Amino acid sequence: MNNRGSCYLIRCLASLVLLCMMTSAAHAGKPVFEIEIRNHLFYPSTLTVPSNTKVKLLIYNRDSTSEEFESYELNREKVIMGNRKAVIFIGPLPAGEYPFFGEFYPKTAQGKIIAE
Amino acid sequence: MLLSSVIIVLREVLEAALLFSVLMALTSRLALSFKWAGWSLAGGIIGAALYAINVDTVSDWIDGVGQEVVNASLQLGIYTLTLVFLVLLAYRISTERRCCALAITTVMAVAVSLALTREGFEVVIYLYSTMFENQHMPAVVMGAIIGSSIGISIGILFYYMLRNLTVRWSVNIGVFLLVMVTLLIVGTFQIDILKTVYLQFIQADILPSQLPLWNTGDWLSETSVTGQLLYALAGYESTPTAVQAGFYFGGLLLLAFSYLITRGVSSQGNIHNSGEGEEA
Repeated sequence: MNNRGSCYLIRCLASLVLLCMMTSAAHAGKPVFEIEIRNHLFYPSTLTVPSNTKVKLLIYNRDSTSEEFESYELNREKVIMGNRKAVIFIGPLPAGEYPFFGEFYPKTAQGKIIAE
Repeated sequence: MLLSSVIIVLREVLEAALLFSVLMALTSRLALSFKWAGWSLAGGIIGAALYAINVDTVSDWIDGVGQEVVNASLQLGIYTLTLVFLVLLAYRISTERRCCALAITTVMAVAVSLALTREGFEVVIYLYSTMFENQHMPAVVMGAIIGSSIGISIGILFYYMLRNLTVRWSVNIGVFLLVMVTLLIVGTFQIDILKTVYLQFIQADILPSQLPLWNTGDWLSETSVTGQLLYALAGYESTPTAVQAGFYFGGLLLLAFSYLITRGVSSQGNIHNSGEGEEA
């Protein structure tokens, strides 16, 4: 019984390791795009990404204040603390424009992603 | 700054206030102890503060998608607890009314604590972060006070409206209506949770994303007032994917199923408890 239990545990752990490897391998192959937040503005405010491809967005918040990246069109929302970065996967997107904004400073923090 | 502060705080407070008032009305109607409310508020505030303090560390977990995994786990926890709550509620109404009081209040306390943690941590981060910018502080504080006052007032109004339901009609119809409102509010909350869990997993690249099935955005945009209202009330989504639509309609089916069970057991309960109803 004990033996079977430990066998099961090892198998579970092995699957978990495999899953992690697969996830990181999947993450590794995606095109990466960077956006910066400075003085509650996005740089660049317009970002062009390939359509029908999953991409990894790296968002650096250079302000000391937090921001929340949000987009209804992309269905994304994530809190980014001051002086930190965040990873957000988007796509595959059909060709088109996808506005995004900073929820905490929506007056200035506006941008869009163009998939083409 | 004032308007965005009002909107951010109101949106989170209103959702919590509606859920809270319907559960308070049920507590009063089912003669349960109100202690759970204090515990859940304390748990929620501590939870939100702890999450906000540690969000830096959490965000770096699992290749930078820790925040998504923690949010999704919290929401799956809330989803499971609310399902357990509905089952216990149906059981209490169908059998003698004294059953499983501690279980019901404990489940409510933990579920509401988790919900407040999940919804509250963003408000805590927003307030904490903007407070340090002197030029924004008065507007943010004023906005937070206005937003939370509106949300809490609507919650209190809703609570008394629900409590009066049982006074206007006979006790059994009152309980039945109250359970239906609970199902509606908790059900909408559950559908929204499933949708968010799915989106969090896609955002973290744990689940594969798909192209949307349809796009009703030109017809009814999610950013329009009607779209926002439908989003809040029924989880409206202009570009759903196949899995998302599956989750949505699966959630609706589960809700319809729990409606039927509750209806069945409450009509049984009416027969069992008709004597008690007349006394009250």
